[in-house]
Amino acid sequence: MQMFPKQEVVAMLLAGGQGSRLGVLTKKLAKPAVPFGGKYRIIDFPLSNCVNSGIEAVGILTQYQPLILNEYIGNGQPWDLDGMHSGVNCLSPYQAIKGADWYTGTANAIYQNINYIERYDPNYVVILSGDHIYKMDYNKMLEYHKEKNAACTIAVIDVPLEEASRFGILNTYENGEIYEFDEKPEHPKSTNASMGIYIFSWKELRKYLTDDAALENSSHDFGKDVLPAMLNAGERMFAYPFEGYWKDVGTIDSLWEANMDLLDPNVTLDLKNVYSRNPMMPPHYVSPDANIQNSLVADGCNVEGDLEFSILFSGVTVGKGATVNSSIIMPGAVIEEGATVKFAIVAENTVIKKGAKVGQKPEEVDDRKNWGIAVIGENTVIPENAFIKAKEMIDSEVAASEK
Amino acid sequence: MTKFPSLPRRAQPQADHVGSGSAYDLSKRRSNLTLLTPYGGKVFSNYVETIYNMHGYIEHCREEYILISPGNVVTNFDYNALFDYHSKHNSDITLVYKKGVIPSGYDRPVTLDIDADGKVTQVFIKPENTEEEDNHFYGSALVKKSLLMEEIRKALSLNELDIKKLLQQILDRYKVFAYENKGYTAIISSINSYFDFNMDLMKKEVRDELFNPKRPIYTKVRDDAPSRYGLESKVKNSIIAQGCVIDGEVENCVISKGVYVGKGAKLSNCIVMQDTVIGKNTNLNYVIIDKDVTIKDGRSLMGFGSYPIYIAKKSEV
Repeated sequence: MQMFPKQEVVAMLLAGGQGSRLGVLTKKLAKPAVPFGGKYRIIDFPLSNCVNSGIEAVGILTQYQPLILNEYIGNGQPWDLDGMHSGVNCLSPYQAIKGADWYTGTANAIYQNINYIERYDPNYVVILSGDHIYKMDYNKMLEYHKEKNAACTIAVIDVPLEEASRFGILNTYENGEIYEFDEKPEHPKSTNASMGIYIFSWKELRKYLTDDAALENSSHDFGKDVLPAMLNAGERMFAYPFEGYWKDVGTIDSLWEANMDLLDPNVTLDLKNVYSRNPMMPPHYVSPDANIQNSLVADGCNVEGDLEFSILFSGVTVGKGATVNSSIIMPGAVIEEGATVKFAIVAENTVIKKGAKVGQKPEEVDDRKNWGIAVIGENTVIPENAFIKAKEMIDSEVAASEK
Repeated sequence: MTKFPSLPRRAQPQADHVGSGSAYDLSKRRSNLTLLTPYGGKVFSNYVETIYNMHGYIEHCREEYILISPGNVVTNFDYNALFDYHSKHNSDITLVYKKGVIPSGYDRPVTLDIDADGKVTQVFIKPENTEEEDNHFYGSALVKKSLLMEEIRKALSLNELDIKKLLQQILDRYKVFAYENKGYTAIISSINSYFDFNMDLMKKEVRDELFNPKRPIYTKVRDDAPSRYGLESKVKNSIIAQGCVIDGEVENCVISKGVYVGKGAKLSNCIVMQDTVIGKNTNLNYVIIDKDVTIKDGRSLMGFGSYPIYIAKKSEV
């Protein structure tokens, strides 16, 4: 029998959700695999955090469109998670003697993988999600968890009061102990928003997961079922205050904003020690006609047009006289001569043909309520001189039907 | 990481760069990369002794053929086509050559006379460089392992240590064919040719050929972020790697990974290697700057097209 060395902490990364609010971007892609920041995918952030916190065993729970995500994670080598007896594993739903089940909720996904966790005999389990951009030392949170002798510690971030009703709010005593969960409250009592990062003492979590699995009317969700059950039973649950950059990138607007934050010198997020799988591409070329201001450009790009407040992923082409403003252009996309892309997200390998216009500035829209980021899905061709309005979402099928 | 305890100091950056060979997909069970270094206190002084010293490795390999290739040639070359040519002509030795003027700084360049079938009829060792077009054999050759080792052993026993002369001597005894490398080929033999060939990268046709996505050129990649252009940056006609921060003006430059160009800096016609810091309000023209150099704020350095200045690794200006 193979012996797995004991791990004090095992991390479980919830990466199975559909991320439907990202629309065409997640049509064939799990949300954690969505490209971010010019060369990363969202999942690089929690994965790099794990490695930088000394966590050596990471289980990634996949379910929705896992192909690209599985392939991207591979053997885990880019994150140093390719140890002989530890590292990263993609855990998909499976068939067992008693039948086959999809992961029916976040807690159920962990419950179905108790075997994976127990082979490392851990004291603690960190539950992470794959839709947040932040850099965090989970070790510090673990120290806090131990210090408080907690059964569960939830990381929280201070949000502005006017935004608090968009989050799950944790109300605590002065010592940080949680006495109440307030999901998206109308009248928030505090501004401690849950970041969706939990540390559990494994013995306790195992018990509550098993109890929850036996309940027929449970939705098997951490936020809705397991955490309230623990609180009701009087377990010690604490809020760990995190300071630093953190952003949920579950919507088009927040994904766009988080990317733009990388271009803002006042934002504290840096990309040092964030690891990713690197495409093999030559350095990028900037032509004599190009103009680049306040932008990020990755390897393999060819820039002959104007670039302002934008992010180019690897292998992007911006033709002569093309303009890209306040936009995110994902790997392999081509913006042909004279095309204009503003306030838009253009997904992988999409072609914006000559003279086409994608997206609008907020001031170009009559009613600001109708303004939003324009999104073009992967492998789409936007025909010559076409016009895609603000907030529109186009994928390859829509583009084909309109031809 | 493989260790090379007896590696001479100059080989260390190379060993560090190629590592296990995994960046080139050359760390497989059946195909791999091995760094061969001098041992027993010797140094590599000529090819005949060098090849002989590696006979243990060479004879141990399963492969039947040996491809000899120089380390100073930048070209995207299909060795399969060379092998097909070799087999089709039933050749013993196939030499790869480049038609053209031999780049400056070459020591005793070898040129070939070739007949209509592609057979090499004469091998010349030129005493000096000329401006004339020639068939330049730049050191890339395909040969059967057994043949090579037999001739190397013979040469050693006759104390013939010059591989160029050896080639002349064995020409009559074997079928030696020549294969033309018709692609873009940069043979780097001097600091001037190094500079000029780097500047060639500004040409689209050169980039398209060298960086052909169907036959990519692999390298060791670091975890650099995408390069960041500041609000006042102005970049024209340049090649820029990842991990750079460009706040100044850059024109006709090749910039390696992790380079910082400060505000108000003006760089033209420069080659800047990795992690170098170019301070604010500097003015640099025709300068080749090695790794980890710091150019302090306000400094000016001017070379000339025919005479670029070279700033050594880790210097501070």
